[in-house]
Amino acid sequence: MTDVLPSPRHAARVVGRNALVFSKLWKGALLPQFLDPLFYLLALGFGLGTYVATINGQDYRDFLAPGLIASAAMWSAAFECTYNVYFRMNETRLYDAILATPVEVQDLVAGDLTWSAIRSTIYGTVFLVVVTAFGLIHSPWAILLPPLVALGGLCMSVIAYTFTALIPRIDLYSYFFTLGITPMFLFSGIFFPFDELPGFAEVIAWFTPLYHSVEISRAMATGPGPMVLVHAAWLIAVTAALFVVPVRAVRRRLVA
Amino acid sequence: MVARSLVKSYGERVAVDGIDFEVEPATCFGFLGPNGAGKTTTMKMIYGLATVGRGELSVLGLDARTKRRQIKSRLGVVPQETNLDGQVTVLENLLVQASYFGIERQTAEARARELLDFSRLADRSAEQITSLSGGMKRRLLVARALVNEPEMVVLDEPTTGLDPQARLAVWRSLETLKRRGVTLLLTTHYMEEAARLCDRLVIMDEGSIVAEGEPGALVREHVGREVLELRVSDECDAEELVASVDGRLEGHDFTEDALMLYAPDAEELLEAIDHERYPTESALVRRATLEDVFLRLTGRSLRE
Repeated sequence: MTDVLPSPRHAARVVGRNALVFSKLWKGALLPQFLDPLFYLLALGFGLGTYVATINGQDYRDFLAPGLIASAAMWSAAFECTYNVYFRMNETRLYDAILATPVEVQDLVAGDLTWSAIRSTIYGTVFLVVVTAFGLIHSPWAILLPPLVALGGLCMSVIAYTFTALIPRIDLYSYFFTLGITPMFLFSGIFFPFDELPGFAEVIAWFTPLYHSVEISRAMATGPGPMVLVHAAWLIAVTAALFVVPVRAVRRRLVA
Repeated sequence: MVARSLVKSYGERVAVDGIDFEVEPATCFGFLGPNGAGKTTTMKMIYGLATVGRGELSVLGLDARTKRRQIKSRLGVVPQETNLDGQVTVLENLLVQASYFGIERQTAEARARELLDFSRLADRSAEQITSLSGGMKRRLLVARALVNEPEMVVLDEPTTGLDPQARLAVWRSLETLKRRGVTLLLTTHYMEEAARLCDRLVIMDEGSIVAEGEPGALVREHVGREVLELRVSDECDAEELVASVDGRLEGHDFTEDALMLYAPDAEELLEAIDHERYPTESALVRRATLEDVFLRLTGRSLRE
């Protein structure tokens, strides 16, 4: 167990490094990513939404906006824990350097995941502010959304990190994004509800982290019920259960 | 530092095959050997990037199997591959490194400035890594390895790929470290480098140690004082040539295109050869070096 449980002190140092890099890059290279969900909101909410006025009595824009907060976090986590981690681990070999310091594999993975969750929360919260400005948030509970966005981001991060730790080649990400992330984005209840669809659709969606993030987000935007706790528990459980996989895989890869 | 019957295998392949060595504090200890001899694997076991297979390895008096974090906090590592952090500046590379060791910001800042001076990179502190030359990157790697004021620095081929000036600069900084009492552990395939820096060294081949000693003693023991390097013509029978001067030789080797004769006085040996009977294309008299030891012990053909 001692080689799986991270030392928070050492993990925090990895978070610090990643945050430093982000603080240098966000104004330039990362700015477009902030606009991504805005385009979906404009095209679908204000474009398509003009024709689809309401869903189950809820204004379509109000229905759509919270889901896009969750997906903004998901996209951030998906990129951070795929390409960014892959480059640091395999291309620039930065992890070899970090692991030659008192930081151990489990601290490194925990630090990267924590950072990715923070980064997701930044993207999610920025978009929360945007949609609030558009008048699409109707519950003060939404102020509690950022930590819950972090939870979704963390869960997504550990899944992406696991994939990264296991793939031998960078080109395999096309499977991850085309068969994993994109369908999840489209079919996790961001754009349409499951009510009128066959039952299996929601069952499948239930197994994806984004579905739970979207449900939490929508609930917090309108007034939450106890189901929020169930969704949060799902995200925590999956994250905790999966964490050991990238730790073991990265160790096998870098400290053979 | 002590290694006893140290073994490391990757699947079927045995990278390190039962080596023993001991390193005294404040000395420079070298590992020489061709590519694939097991030098890097040995280094990685020492600095925690490879698990210890079988046998014992104690670093700074601590068991390398169980005390990895403690060992690493007192070690400096200059890896074979340049793995600087390309997303932050030169100075930040040192500051971030210091943060991994939990060094407080103010101390880190002062130490980083000092190390940039030591590495003659002070005027580059705000630059990106990509703007540095190969030699500067190596110097920064050495500086990075010193941020935690290590008791021992492990260097895996610290000067491979550098031009002579840059190599000299790295050597000078390593000599300074040695004078300050830092233990140095170094792998190289430059014999010159080993001869200049190492107090003791081992020569490794195919995972085993084939010789150990002080550089000078190793040369005397395995080669002798001088070498006569002959390029013989096609019509010359080299075997017969060797037989004709056998009494004067301490040893000889055939390489693909040359004949190496080891003798106390190579000049005299050259005069003793019957050049009518044994025509040669060129002859070179030189002092024996570690290179000759290395080649004698590990074979002259290209590996891999």
